[in-house]
Amino acid sequence: METPLDLLKLNLDEKVFVKLRGAREMTGTLQAFDSHCNIVLSNATETIYEFLEGELKSNTKSSEMVFVRGDSVTLITTPSEE
Amino acid sequence: MSTSESKTTASAQFLSNIIGQSVVVKLHNGMLYQGVLESIDGFMNIALNQATEHYETDANGLLHRYDGDVFVRGTQVLYISEA
Repeated sequence: METPLDLLKLNLDEKVFVKLRGAREMTGTLQAFDSHCNIVLSNATETIYEFLEGELKSNTKSSEMVFVRGDSVTLITTPSEE
Repeated sequence: MSTSESKTTASAQFLSNIIGQSVVVKLHNGMLYQGVLESIDGFMNIALNQATEHYETDANGLLHRYDGDVFVRGTQVLYISEA
């Protein structure tokens, strides 16, 4: 039977959308991952959401290559077209 | 010994029985995901198809609809149940 991690292999070399703990998101190209959900993304953009003066603000940070530690990962999927 | 074994089989049986069913998955941070259970492993890692995202209960309105498969990390899962 295919485990969820097997299905994640289908996303290798594809763009992914990763939800992280603490109202953060990351998009980028999935280069590698392991069973701890440590992931390596290339051309990654981090989006950080915060409430400032009652308004939802978001900041982005870009990096060429980033290693995300698995324990902050909550969800991985393909990015939705917007 | 035998009781713990039969408990293990009952929970493992539940998890394999609900594959292909519509399920709800609640995470520690309160997010609720409803979708078709594609696959699940012993770490409670979950793959959902046609997933929708809500906060705490699906009465709270749709936050997001995911078109592709959604992978949820097992350590973040609070519970999974049939929708």
